[in-house]
Amino acid sequence: MGFWQRVSQLDRRWIYLAVALAVIFPLLVPMKMKLGITPEARQLYEAIETLPDSSVVMLTFDYYPSTVAETRPMSIAALHQMFRKNLKVITMTTIPLGGPSMADRTMKLMGDLYHKTYGVDYVNLGYKANYTAVLLGMGSSIESIYPSDQYGTPLANLPLMQTVKNYDQISFIFIVADNGIVDNWISIVNAQFSTPMGAGVTAVMAPKFYSYVQAKQMTGLLGGMKGAAEYEMLVNKPAMALIGMDSQSLAHLLIIGFVIAGNVAYFATRKKKESKG
Amino acid sequence: MEILGLWLAGFFTLSLFSFLYKDNPFYGLAEHVFAGLSAGYEVGLVYHSVILQQLVDPISQHWVNAAAGDHPGFHIMKIGFLLFAGALGVLMFARFFPKASWISRYPLAFVMGNTAGIYLMSELHGRLIPQIAGTFVNLLNPLNLIIFFGVLTTLIYFYFSKEHTGVLGGSARVGIWFIMIAFGAHFGYTVMGRISLLIGQVQFILIDWLKLVKPG
Repeated sequence: MGFWQRVSQLDRRWIYLAVALAVIFPLLVPMKMKLGITPEARQLYEAIETLPDSSVVMLTFDYYPSTVAETRPMSIAALHQMFRKNLKVITMTTIPLGGPSMADRTMKLMGDLYHKTYGVDYVNLGYKANYTAVLLGMGSSIESIYPSDQYGTPLANLPLMQTVKNYDQISFIFIVADNGIVDNWISIVNAQFSTPMGAGVTAVMAPKFYSYVQAKQMTGLLGGMKGAAEYEMLVNKPAMALIGMDSQSLAHLLIIGFVIAGNVAYFATRKKKESKG
Repeated sequence: MEILGLWLAGFFTLSLFSFLYKDNPFYGLAEHVFAGLSAGYEVGLVYHSVILQQLVDPISQHWVNAAAGDHPGFHIMKIGFLLFAGALGVLMFARFFPKASWISRYPLAFVMGNTAGIYLMSELHGRLIPQIAGTFVNLLNPLNLIIFFGVLTTLIYFYFSKEHTGVLGGSARVGIWFIMIAFGAHFGYTVMGRISLLIGQVQFILIDWLKLVKPG
């Protein structure tokens, strides 16, 4: 059996092992590869950076625990910027499985880090079923959709919510999502209430949303772990996404190598088969 | 408790990864535990966030207000709306009884009509018109030219009422190239997404669980 024939019949488990090693090695021995910042990520950062002090922003936790590697670093980096800039943050989720607990843990962690007071500097609205009705209803009254927050406190008792009645008082919406809910935020909230917004989405979703940025329906976009790492760089808080980017780059190089090797093996063995036949 | 949670998460992560070598009982266990936990959590959540928060609690609140004499007519009307919506929800269970399953079409018809009404406007004003407007660009910019011809030729590719020959055929072939490039971008991003998920779990194992690597 020739070399290329052996390559074309390679047990796929060797490929899994090689990818695993390519991911693990840079975590043990950081390579600090260079990373550029895309205009879409910078636009999102600038949109929040230029908001006046004490502006109210909404940050959504519209993602499942399975995608936290890409999405959670975006939420954390966004909160670094929002709390550093002294913005008031309202958070919510449309995801039942894990959304409420991730929002709760992240907000408490970041709120404590920046010595922010719950109810005054930030509010966690929690989860509410039927996202279409939720997004539409908050346009007329947030309190009618969320009579109480994640912890059962009536909104009327939270100082921040006494000044925020609907989208009119929200300066920017930062959506972090791993599903099609971003479409609804754009087509319902941006289109009908003209609230400026930007999004951090998983890599699988990202290509679709560039058209919204081009059409100016969204101010900026973060795509996958790369987008999260870019935002960590912009807010100058390197963390999990930036750590993971060495692994990402090495794994991509490996996959490119596999794609080339697979194609060469295919054509080399086909040529041999044709000459034999 | 936190340490137990970490070890359980670590054990189940490795159990799921073990499938890459071959199917085994650890993978089966992890798969079943995940399915059972998700179903149980979802039932509890729906009971709390839908039945209690969106039906029982508002009815009780309106009842208290009506009994206190605060605009009783308004609150009774609200209770009527909520009971009507609740009754429609109950009718969905008619699907479990073959002879009465037709009844479930009434709440479904209500949902379909409602959804169509909401999405008709939001899709038109939120997607179709702004996206078309996004192609009205300054054609002196080469990047805008690509957007313009990309949209035009792709739309021509999906025009099937005339045979794709001549100028139409040539444009359609250019459209296929744009579609292929879009597929390539999607595929590249998908690879990045899948590798990111693996990195996330490896970070969990090395940093959070085994503490072999210090973050930062």
